[in-house]
Amino acid sequence: MDNIINLLNAAVAAGTPLLLGTLGEILTEKSGNLNLGVEGMMFMGAVSGLAGGLAAEQWLGGAGVMAAVGALLISFLAGALGALIYSFLTITLRANQNVTGLTLTIFGTGFGNFFGEILGQRSATGFAQVTQGTQAMFQPIHFGALSDIPILGKLLFSYNWIVYFSVALAILMAWFFKKSRTGLNLRAVGEDPATADAAGINVTRYKYLATIVGGGICGIGGMYMCMVTCNGIWVHGCVSGYGWLAVALVIFATWNPARAILCGIIFGGLTVLRMYFPIKGLATQFYDMVPYIVTIVVLVITSIRQSREHSQPKSCGNNYFREER
Amino acid sequence: MKKFVSAFLSFAMIFSLAACGSGNSETTAAPTTTPAATTSADTTAAEKDTTAAATTAAEATTAATGDVDYSKLKIGFVHISDPSDKGYTYNHDLGTQKMAKELGLDVNTQIINKYNIPEGAECGTALRELVDAGCNIIFATSFGFENYVLEVAKEYPDVQFCHATGYQAATSGLSNVHNYFGEIHQARYLSGIAAGLKTSTNKIGYVAAMATPEVISGYDAFYLGAKSVNPDVTMEVMYTNSWNDPTKEAQVAKALIDDGCDVIGQHCDSTAAATTAEQNGVFHVGYNSDMRDAAPKASLTSAVWDWSIYLEYAVNCVAKGEAIDVDWSKGLKDGVCDISPLNDSIIADGTKEAIDAAREKFLTSDWDVFTGPLKDNEGNEVVKEGETFKEPASAPSFNHILEGITVKE
Repeated sequence: MDNIINLLNAAVAAGTPLLLGTLGEILTEKSGNLNLGVEGMMFMGAVSGLAGGLAAEQWLGGAGVMAAVGALLISFLAGALGALIYSFLTITLRANQNVTGLTLTIFGTGFGNFFGEILGQRSATGFAQVTQGTQAMFQPIHFGALSDIPILGKLLFSYNWIVYFSVALAILMAWFFKKSRTGLNLRAVGEDPATADAAGINVTRYKYLATIVGGGICGIGGMYMCMVTCNGIWVHGCVSGYGWLAVALVIFATWNPARAILCGIIFGGLTVLRMYFPIKGLATQFYDMVPYIVTIVVLVITSIRQSREHSQPKSCGNNYFREER
Repeated sequence: MKKFVSAFLSFAMIFSLAACGSGNSETTAAPTTTPAATTSADTTAAEKDTTAAATTAAEATTAATGDVDYSKLKIGFVHISDPSDKGYTYNHDLGTQKMAKELGLDVNTQIINKYNIPEGAECGTALRELVDAGCNIIFATSFGFENYVLEVAKEYPDVQFCHATGYQAATSGLSNVHNYFGEIHQARYLSGIAAGLKTSTNKIGYVAAMATPEVISGYDAFYLGAKSVNPDVTMEVMYTNSWNDPTKEAQVAKALIDDGCDVIGQHCDSTAAATTAEQNGVFHVGYNSDMRDAAPKASLTSAVWDWSIYLEYAVNCVAKGEAIDVDWSKGLKDGVCDISPLNDSIIADGTKEAIDAAREKFLTSDWDVFTGPLKDNEGNEVVKEGETFKEPASAPSFNHILEGITVKE
């Protein structure tokens, strides 16, 4: 029993960066843009978040809340910058979305590692690290009596603030797509931009905004890798494939932000499963394969069911030419 | 307006592309290569400095053999990560800097580092680039580099290649390939004492990289150290299957802590295990570097290397035209490995005394860690009573998982 609780707890911690990357990519794909640059934007967010935290410590005086806010904002902006490049290339210049996304991944990985190394070389110790006070900001919050409730306390009230932030964001996004006028318009753009255009929706503006905000959310996911998983130290290649997992997770979650919460926890759980339930003699590599096998199975099942509700936005991957309507 | 916006965006894009371009060239060129744009005045000044320093250093270190000219040497390094790991590469780099200082080398012109080289074909490329840059001696520091070292060394018999943790130099038939490592198990034994005295659950966790003899003999020694002061202690080992994967290291450490371990030891490259231990309020014994900065409330001590001793030896050999040992290994007695300063505010009472006593035993006698009777975890006797297992070569070969250790996989 304890083992299951511990596994769930670790799964949430491992799943949160995946959830953020997934949410960003869902928002992007709902506008009809397939941005494969999640990994790159996460790297940009990771290094910028660290730099933002360090800068806030240096200039705004002091570790703690200001540094955490700085890390959040700057990582969002960095992810958004990556998405802006992508948007300009695909929406305005109508470049191929797949190729542009892949390029963004390569660019972002280099961006992250390059500036991460510079941060390290500039610091006196030889590696970039935020101060103790800022590190404490990213550690699990203790809710007093609530956190001490057996089982429930550990399951619900023992995480850092980004975990709660991303769950709230997922719920907000689910509401946005289902209930708000803007969200419905955005879905129309993703399904059929020509019809949306005819209905008077500004397709270009919607695509730009959704992609940029989506990139920003991916950036926050990268910041989680750097500030929480690596405890505010720049580690070369710290995102290490989580961005790609997030792209797979979008399919697994069938483009539904609320479901993404659950899927993020499942995927996070699968990545740490072998540490809690080891099977003697089963090679650990098999465990590492499981998330991807699950993705393939989900792909097969969704394509067999051919459910329109659970499929990719129809125009996703295609650029919109008004002249070709 | 529209035109203005797209002009602005194009500008932003070009700017970021430029940033990307410089990023690429910088990373491949490695931070310590000579900037091409140095003015001639600067260069001569730097050269003067180097020669001046080199002569003084040479006088100090090689007084017996007379003048040795270090100024023509160029030294290359291939590392699997970069000093930001605050672990293996960081510590090896400290050794490089110390060696350069002792011998009076100019780190900007005479030493070329290749960081973040994967254990694949990129390693061969990096080695060839170092040869092309004029290196006389090249150090490759990760286990998986060995085959590439052998391949490239065959093509360039005039360049000396030194590979850490490997085992094939002696059998390769190449006179320019050398292995080096040390008796790190002695330092691990000492660091294990700190863990054994600190644990209150009598259960130690160990984040291990891969199931190779180097790692296995390392955690055996660590466990024997803990057991020497705490006979009831048991240990759980979990592998990350990677030398350097901070995310996995943190997750494995967390899983061990969840399983009831209250001191975490490690054989992996980064500080992730240390910071995870600190976040969860347990203690940690590190490897490679003093991790008290990264985890001041958790890090008890670390088993550390002083690589400068070997680096100085090998570079001196090249400078004097002497042969380098084909297989070099030294331990605590020569200061090649030791533990980092104890974290006095959190170590258990009596830790210092117990460690000093054990150190005394290493320094004054022939005693070593793997002294019988030792059983593996299936009950087979691996070292008989009264016998001591001594590593025959620099690369560790003690490959038995000892009684009291559980491997979770």
